[in-house]
Amino acid sequence: MSPMMTIAKREFRSYFDSPLAYIVICLSFLALGLLFFMFNGGFWQLDRALVSRLFEYTPMGLSFLVVPVVTMRLLAEERRSGTLEMLITLPVKDSDVVLGKYMGALGLVLVLVISTLVYPIGMFKWPWNLGPLDAGPVASGYLGLVLFSAASVALGLLISALTESQAVAFFLTFFVLGALWLFGDLASKANDYPALAALLNYVSFQSRLSNFWRGLVDSRDVVFFISVTVLSLMVAFRALERRKWA
Amino acid sequence: MATDVMIQANGLTKRFGVVRALDKVNFEVKRGEVVGFLGPNGAGKSTTMRILTCFISPTNGSAKVNSHDVFDNPLEVRRSIGYLPQRAPLYTDMTVWEYLKFAAEIRGLDEGTFKKRLKKVVEVCGLAQSLGKDISTLSHGYRQRVGLGQALIHDPPILILDEPTSDLDPNEKAEVLRYIKEIGKDRTILLSTHNLAEVEEACARAIIVSKGRVVADGPLDQIRGTTGRVRYVVTIDEKRAEASNKPPSAVQAQEALERLNGVKSVRELPTDETAHKFELAGAQDSDLRAEIFRLMVAKGWTLLELRRDAQSLDVVFRDLTRGDEKLDRGAGWSAGDDEDEDEEDEVDQKSPAATDEEESDEDEEDDDEDEDEEEAADQKSKGKS
Repeated sequence: MSPMMTIAKREFRSYFDSPLAYIVICLSFLALGLLFFMFNGGFWQLDRALVSRLFEYTPMGLSFLVVPVVTMRLLAEERRSGTLEMLITLPVKDSDVVLGKYMGALGLVLVLVISTLVYPIGMFKWPWNLGPLDAGPVASGYLGLVLFSAASVALGLLISALTESQAVAFFLTFFVLGALWLFGDLASKANDYPALAALLNYVSFQSRLSNFWRGLVDSRDVVFFISVTVLSLMVAFRALERRKWA
Repeated sequence: MATDVMIQANGLTKRFGVVRALDKVNFEVKRGEVVGFLGPNGAGKSTTMRILTCFISPTNGSAKVNSHDVFDNPLEVRRSIGYLPQRAPLYTDMTVWEYLKFAAEIRGLDEGTFKKRLKKVVEVCGLAQSLGKDISTLSHGYRQRVGLGQALIHDPPILILDEPTSDLDPNEKAEVLRYIKEIGKDRTILLSTHNLAEVEEACARAIIVSKGRVVADGPLDQIRGTTGRVRYVVTIDEKRAEASNKPPSAVQAQEALERLNGVKSVRELPTDETAHKFELAGAQDSDLRAEIFRLMVAKGWTLLELRRDAQSLDVVFRDLTRGDEKLDRGAGWSAGDDEDEDEEDEVDQKSPAATDEEESDEDEEDDDEDEDEEEAADQKSKGKS
């Protein structure tokens, strides 16, 4: 096994050694269930067998809770406790460390994303069959979720690489991801300033994702998420390397 | 010859902002040498070790480990070494076994080799009872052992140990030192410590750094000889004297001792007894004990104690690094990574071994009192022997 995979495996497993992973998973499922069925003219009032709400609420939960919690400790905690020195002086490249940790954290988030499949499966396959499933938007919605998770975990990792405090990492990630999400809402209210609205839409994760919900896979959106991911990882790598010269 | 040099530092300089942590450090360590890396806190020991393990890069200069350059080939360098950082930072959420397995996997050991090495490492580090325990439940001494185990798991030709015996109890210390001596026969070990007794026990050679410079490098005997002084401790009863003679006052006694041939300096030392205690400095190759005794007889004073010390390593260390600690405490490191190192060091200083100096250091400023430090250090080494 490559050093990168060893680090990823350790990182992924360590989530389950602490209560953190369990709490996060339980809370987010509870919240998702409440939002899906009750909130804002919920599933029952709407009276239509739609899963698109799922794609609307899952990324919110990820932005505001899951990703900040999962990524806050990645590098911040290692730096604070000094384990980073132990890890990096093993024969590993800095890129192995960044990518390994990234994959470990992304793994946990994807487990969560994939578990939400119980909604479409439960509604359209078994035990209930509310009608034929419109597979296209569901598939594109999940593609969007995966791309979104990749980008936000990368951002979280980057922020964790910049600080030594988990709390600071949490709040910064929370703020950045939250802002990138809410920019979408803001854009719809900024009709008087088309340039501003366009800019907000351009950077907003929400606006980018909304295309996926409608079953539209736009290459611009795909490239956007992938670019955010790659760029964040590269900057995180640089931030880790900076210790050598600081 | 060239292949025998396992660690080579060439003009290593490291700056943290404006602070120069290392200043043109040069040294070589050959195969099979166990070298003690000594220095006061903040002298640059950890920084040097971090450079050698490619954790940080030097601002200037170069280093080779197992003939791999730390700039060009960091992975090869790290493969050749086992490294135990200061205070053994480990993942506390793993069990000991998981941790060792993790280190072995990253180092690419296959299952069979790992099992074989694990057996040896467990035996050597005394980890048999704690293999299944969470590292978070272990005492610091045990964590240190796990850290040592991790450094040995791949049977490296070079070991770099940053204060491997701190936080161990005396038995554990002795065991680790014995083991270091044993594996040092066919391996190269660079170990840093501020416990001089350990260096005398385990190492044949020492490198002393101070303020980022190498101030002494050589076999222990040679280093002991560098300051070229012998000290005597003389205690005279202040109440009783022989026959009709009067016991001396402190000034009388000091003056009489100063008049002796070959005495370079006399200082009064504090004592609990009703006595005057003096420290005398003499030349390296002289022996003043007979003269001191004759002086006592002639004056009719009661001699309670007369002792001659060959210069102990403690004293040499103090001489070579004098003023360092105060300086560092005043200035402090300002930049990033080293800041926490310094904090750790401050905590380390409070360890029992260092308390004597710590106390005297804190409230005494002038040179005179510095001699008391030497005394304190001396009593410390007496206690240890």
